[in-house]
Amino acid sequence: MSASFERLIEGIIDALQTHIVPNNGDDFVRGQVFSAIYALNGLKLAADWKPGPLLDQVRLQDDAFAAVRQQANGMDHPPIPATPRIARENAEAAQIEALRDDGDRLLGQLLLWASGEGARTADPDAANEIERLLRRAICDQLKIELATTPKSMLQQIAGGDGDAARG
Amino acid sequence: MQDTAIRSDGLPRPVPAPVRRPDVVNDDAVRGALARYLARTSGGGVEIISFSRKSSGFSWITYGFIARSADRSDRKLILRVGPPNGLFAPYSVLPQVHALQSLAGSNVPVPALVSFEQDGAEIGFPFFICVHVEGDVPAPWAASQLGEDHRRVIALQFLNILGELHRIDARTTPLASLQGGGERAEVSAIAAWRASLARPTARYYPLLDWGGRWLQENCPQPPRRTIVHGDYRIGNFIEHDKNIVAILDWELTHLGDPHEDLAWALMPTFNARSKKLYGVVERAEVIELYQRASGIPVSAKSLAFYEAYALYQAAAIQMCAVRAFEVDRFNDMRMAVMASQMPSIVRAFERALEAAA
Repeated sequence: MSASFERLIEGIIDALQTHIVPNNGDDFVRGQVFSAIYALNGLKLAADWKPGPLLDQVRLQDDAFAAVRQQANGMDHPPIPATPRIARENAEAAQIEALRDDGDRLLGQLLLWASGEGARTADPDAANEIERLLRRAICDQLKIELATTPKSMLQQIAGGDGDAARG
Repeated sequence: MQDTAIRSDGLPRPVPAPVRRPDVVNDDAVRGALARYLARTSGGGVEIISFSRKSSGFSWITYGFIARSADRSDRKLILRVGPPNGLFAPYSVLPQVHALQSLAGSNVPVPALVSFEQDGAEIGFPFFICVHVEGDVPAPWAASQLGEDHRRVIALQFLNILGELHRIDARTTPLASLQGGGERAEVSAIAAWRASLARPTARYYPLLDWGGRWLQENCPQPPRRTIVHGDYRIGNFIEHDKNIVAILDWELTHLGDPHEDLAWALMPTFNARSKKLYGVVERAEVIELYQRASGIPVSAKSLAFYEAYALYQAAAIQMCAVRAFEVDRFNDMRMAVMASQMPSIVRAFERALEAAA
C-alpha cells in the first residue's frame, strides 16, 4: 500500500462519519456504522500492517544491495548500505516500512546510476547486469505487494454500482 | 492536462497541518448561482428544473438540468464545473471550450457549447454549459452487456472519429492556442509528470523515477503534431442507436503526437482488461483501421513508447490521488483505494518499457 495504516483508518472513519451517517436515517444502520467506527478506532490503536510481507521486501532489497556491491566492485557508485539492515525478527511494522521505503530510494539511486552515462562508460557489461538485476529485484518486491492486494473493485468504486459489488 | 492540470513547479512543499479540505462545491449553491447567471446572461427569467449531479468524478463535476425560459420553452443542458479541490485543481475551462468550438460542425461529434466563464462568474469556479446529448455512456471497466456485433460497430466508429480528429489542422482552430512547450511539447509534458511524481508522497517508486527519465530521453518525434484528446477511451463518448453521437471529456486535450491517443485507447484497463479494443477488435486491425481513417502511418516504436507513457501517466495520476489523501488529508476513500493499484501499474509499466526500448 502507498497509504499509511493510520491515515487509512482515519480516512475510513471520516468517510463513514461524513458521508454515511448524515445520509442515513435508519437507527439500526446508524448503530451498525457507529459500531464499525468504534471497531476501527480500536484497530487504529492496536493494529498495523502485517510485518511479514514488509520483512520479505526488505530482505529482497538486501539481496539486491549485496549483488550490486559485488557487481559494482571498483566502480564509483551511490551508497550501498551494509546488509542485513534488520537484525530483529520482531521489529515493529512501522520501522520495517520505513526501512523498506528508505531501501526503495537507495535502489532508485542505484538504478539511475547504473543506466546512466557514467556507469555505462566505466563498465558497460557490469552496468547492464546491475540494471537488469535491480529491475528484477524491484519487480519481485512488487509481486509481494500484489499478493496482499485485493481484487480490483474499480467498476463499483467509479460507478457506485452496488449490485456489481455483491456479484 | 499537461498545460493546465499539473502544477509544474515540482518543488517540495511542507506537509500541511492535518485539516480536511472543505467540500466547497455545494450542489444547492451551484443551482442558485446558475439560475442567477442564466437570468443575467439571457436577459430574462430562467427557471431551472430537474437539476442533478450526473457524476461524482475525481475531477470536473457534471450536472444535468433543464432551463425553462419565460415563454415556457425548455432546453436540456449540461453544466461542468472545475472544483477548487479537484484532483488537478486549479482548472482552466479553456481546453474544453476550445475543443467544443473547434470541432463544432466537424466529423468529430461534440456537444454544442452554450456558454462558459473562466473566472466563474456567479458560480465562482470555472465552468461551461453545453447542450445535453441523448444516449448512453458505456462503462470501460467491466465486460459490456452489449453483444459483440454492437460493440464492433461502435469500436469501428470510435476509430474513424479518432482518425478524423487527427486529420484536422489544429493551426486553424482555437486549439492552436494550447500549443505549449515549443517544438517538443511532448517532452515538456513528460517533465511535468516527473515533477508531479517527485513531490513528497508516502511512497517512492524506483521504477517510476528511472522510467520517467527514460521516457524523457527517448520521446520520439511525432509524425505530425495533431489535436490529441488526451483521454480517448471507451467510456468517454455517448452512443445512441449504435451511433457515437458525442465525444466527451476534453479537459486533457492538447497538441501532440497522435500515437498518444491510440495507445491510451488500447489500454486494457479501458477495455474490460482485454487487449482488444472494446473487447472485440484485435490490435493489428485497430492499427490498420486507424491508419486508413487518419492517413497517419503508425510507428510500432512510437506506439510502444506511448503505451509505456500511458501507464506512466496512469501511475502519476494515481499518485496525485494518493498524495491528496495522504499529504493533503483530502478525505475521499476512493483516493486511498487508488494506492492499492500502484504495484500492478508499476509492473505493467516496467514490462511496457521493456517492449518500447
